[in-house]
Amino acid sequence: MHQPSMQQFMSDPAAINRLRAQFLAELAATSGEPALRGLRDRYLGRKSGAITALLKSVAAAPPDVRPTLGRLANELKGQIETALAERLATVEAPRHPADAVDVTLPGRDFPLGHRHPLTLLRERIEEIFTRMGYQGLEGPECEDDYHNYEALNMPPHHPARDMQDTLYLASPFNERYAVPGTGRRDAYAANLLRTHTSGMQIRYMETHAPPVRIIVPGRVYRRDNLDLTHTPMFTQIEGLVVDEGVTLADLKGTMAAFLGELFETDAKVRFRPSFFPYTEPSAEVLLGCIFCKGSGCGICKKTGWLEVAGSGMVHPALFERVGYDPERYTGFAFGMGVERIAIVKYGVDDIRMFYENDLRFLEQFGQ
Amino acid sequence: MKLVLPWLRELVDLDAPVEEIAETLDMRGFEVASIEETMEGVAVIDVEITANRPDCLSVMGLAREVATAYNAPLGHLGPLAAPPLETVALRHVDSDQVGVALEDPALCPRYAAAIADVEIGPSPSWLAGRLHAAGLRPINNVVDVTNYVMLEVGHPMHAFDVNRLAGPELRIHTAGFGRQHRSGDYRGIRTLDGEMRRLADDVLVIADAGRPVAIAGVMGGADSEVSARTRTIAIESACFEPTSIRRSSRSLGLQTEASYRFERGADISAPVLALERACALLERIGAGRARGTVIDRYPSAAVPRRVVLREHRIRELLGAPVPSQEVTRVLEGLGFSIRSVGIRDRPAGQSEQWEIEIPTARMDVTREADLIEEVGRHHGYDRLPSSFPALKAVAPSPDPRIERARLLGRVMTGAGFSEATTFGFIEKDAALLFTDESELVAILNPLSEKFAVMRPSLLPGLIDSVAHNWRRGRKDVRLFEIGSRFVMSDAELRTIAFAWSGLAVPEHWSGSPRAVDFFDARGMVERIAQALGLAADRLSLGAGDRPFLVPGRSAAVRYGDGAQNADVELGIVGQLTPAIAERRGLPSAEPVYVGEIDIDRIAAFEARRGGIRVEPLPRYPSVVRDLSVVIDGTLPAAAVRGTIRAVAPPTLVAVREFARYQGKGIPEGSVSLSFRLTFQSRERTLTDVEVQEAFDLLVARLTEAHGARLR
Repeated sequence: MHQPSMQQFMSDPAAINRLRAQFLAELAATSGEPALRGLRDRYLGRKSGAITALLKSVAAAPPDVRPTLGRLANELKGQIETALAERLATVEAPRHPADAVDVTLPGRDFPLGHRHPLTLLRERIEEIFTRMGYQGLEGPECEDDYHNYEALNMPPHHPARDMQDTLYLASPFNERYAVPGTGRRDAYAANLLRTHTSGMQIRYMETHAPPVRIIVPGRVYRRDNLDLTHTPMFTQIEGLVVDEGVTLADLKGTMAAFLGELFETDAKVRFRPSFFPYTEPSAEVLLGCIFCKGSGCGICKKTGWLEVAGSGMVHPALFERVGYDPERYTGFAFGMGVERIAIVKYGVDDIRMFYENDLRFLEQFGQ
Repeated sequence: MKLVLPWLRELVDLDAPVEEIAETLDMRGFEVASIEETMEGVAVIDVEITANRPDCLSVMGLAREVATAYNAPLGHLGPLAAPPLETVALRHVDSDQVGVALEDPALCPRYAAAIADVEIGPSPSWLAGRLHAAGLRPINNVVDVTNYVMLEVGHPMHAFDVNRLAGPELRIHTAGFGRQHRSGDYRGIRTLDGEMRRLADDVLVIADAGRPVAIAGVMGGADSEVSARTRTIAIESACFEPTSIRRSSRSLGLQTEASYRFERGADISAPVLALERACALLERIGAGRARGTVIDRYPSAAVPRRVVLREHRIRELLGAPVPSQEVTRVLEGLGFSIRSVGIRDRPAGQSEQWEIEIPTARMDVTREADLIEEVGRHHGYDRLPSSFPALKAVAPSPDPRIERARLLGRVMTGAGFSEATTFGFIEKDAALLFTDESELVAILNPLSEKFAVMRPSLLPGLIDSVAHNWRRGRKDVRLFEIGSRFVMSDAELRTIAFAWSGLAVPEHWSGSPRAVDFFDARGMVERIAQALGLAADRLSLGAGDRPFLVPGRSAAVRYGDGAQNADVELGIVGQLTPAIAERRGLPSAEPVYVGEIDIDRIAAFEARRGGIRVEPLPRYPSVVRDLSVVIDGTLPAAAVRGTIRAVAPPTLVAVREFARYQGKGIPEGSVSLSFRLTFQSRERTLTDVEVQEAFDLLVARLTEAHGARLR
């Protein structure tokens, strides 16, 4: 293939047209990607391309003809670029190197495990309260009678002990509980399995001055047989707020905000007066049934309301016991069962599924 | 408590429909379990009564609540002394046909009895019907009347057949007192249900001249039971000390309508009134006629409690003010007597104060907060605003235990492990496979053998969960759990454990699968240690005999504390013995690898880590040399590595085993072990000569110490 000569179309529109004709003839005679790329280099190449040379010669032309020649030359350049791009696009041959893979085969398995639904829910609850300024804490599972019962206004033979049938230890067990934020360890002889996390209210207040704003998740134990709806071990989350000026209205607002976040709902929250020996007044926290919207269904037992937590204002006798001034400080406490919430939230119909660890069940939850 | 609606309407004049009354009770703290209708079309509201409100284990008590809620008249409102009920006035006498000797006023603060002549027969249908609707079985007219009054005013009573008493007297004392101070047989009693019951010393009884005739507050005796032949009865209406009744009821394993009420507390003012009501009913249904007298042993009359209620305190506790008129309306409606004792000026405005007299039936009300609850629940919690407690300080960071568990949870799921939750207590046989009997924390009153001891390890639960999955066809199982284990000689220990069965490398079209082995499990231990910030080169695995692990494929995990020489044992890793696997329902041929690490022990090191300070990146190139030596096959790699570390100059920055070979070219009983050595200096580029010198020295020392041969 000969090089198009620059001399022949200097200062000459006709020469530009000849160059166009020449290019079109060559384009028509060229096929295949490598040849087309060669053609492009000969005309548009930065060093020796014919069009590059043309544009240089136009720059050297007399000023009177320079604008016209310049316009024509640029038109030709654009035409050649477009034509080449179009041809190249159509001749792009499929590439299939020898090391090609079948990308439709499955990838190597780096299996991801699944968190337990009770942990996921627990962490979600902790996170909501952490955002409200609560400190997450854990307490010991083996307790003494004082912290589990007596300090919470349940002396021996108090009928409220019936509500939570206790599992006792056959002989005293030496617990060493690391008190958070103090570097101290509480050593004591435990004689029972805690029936609720409320003992931590006392343990915490004994070692910390107000203000208090804590959330305590943990396992608790009761002498209940394992069946569809009962379990001898479950997860509880306890909350405690103590400060000057804390009211039942604050408890109500806190519960409403928490439940709205957890269940992603704007359903109503309601307090039903209740009885817990360590709160006064006491209230059961009810959430408008998120399934039937209050019209009554199987899940809310036709009441339109779901019982989600027990709560109340901290009983002044607790403050006296831990050395807080009950005239100066007020506080609220609440407690909820994570299993119970998980049953509602995830639609689990048999509480035993939480403890069987069947992978087909666990794999339905995330990380 | 089954509340029979027409009975309630008899005490409160109210037209409201049953659903509305039920809702009203529910929102005042009396949770409604159901609304039912008897076959006769009578509405019954099943109400749950909390342990603090024994006064509402009666139609009268609930009527007072409903009347207050509706602001409706309760006949004559007020204390029990004046209910709108038909009664027979009884004259107090000191002795009667039957004498009463109250020997133990501490356990029985009040004992009243009245005599009546009766003719036993069935109750009229209206009375039997009400008992039935309320869930009690009608027996005969006399017993039914005592039960009727119990349901109506809340006070349990008992009727004795006077002619079947051995001697005309009722004595109140403990069984132990009887055995010590009286002649007769106080060892036991045959109760109304026909059971022969032995009596502990501290059980309070009612006795006649020579034996117990009733277990006080729990159940009467069969020998003095009212029967078809009974002509004269003594009706007992007493108050017993709640904890004594509860102890009796517990020790005898016997709970009755009476004990249920007495152990929650009976109204000390009620006994005579309840008798007067019972006598009126006996006459009304034609069952008999009262003599008109009552013996009332009441040595120290109760003084009504007085509690001060301050208006501002209501606002401070509830978060909203309640108008004074509403406060007095609610409290008076509930039977409290109110006396205003003045108005105080406070910074936030004036605050009225009242002195409140508590009716004896309300044993639950002892302080101001209790009164505020009464006001609050009748004013309505729905009327309270919703607010937030003010946040005055930044919350401290969470318990490190919580943060560690979160981190490990994500690390483990990232490695393909799913999280298990197993019970904190396990069966003793399973526990004994993992520790000695002396270490077990046993439960005194377990539900069953399956839940007899606190777990000394998380592994038994995890292994059972692996077996559960195997039985359902899942053989590739990776499970972990984070929780507490309990050992007697130590304490409650926060622990992470894992179990791994089946494949480590899953099936893939590109190559062969591989079953889990020791080094997969060890890798997980290293990963856990790394996640918790332990230095890899201080972690060591070595011999640690555990009867539940296969020797030679298991190890104790230790961590060197740098400062001290002693290594601390963090846990174990290895293959579960096939025998134990089989016992827990797994096939013995399939290896199960397990690991268990005490997180609390790791935390002790973690605390010393301090903050991160970045080390500058090395500016000079590193030199890598591979070293292959032939050594005795029983020599642990750690020994060779240790020698290398001890001899090498500080420029040796990394040692890593990369190949291990036995077979052709290597003598029997020996092994070829290859190390990749990385030399690097922070000050300069190392020369080939100095690296070679270090290398030669290593080889010489390995030959000397271990008989190693360069390969």
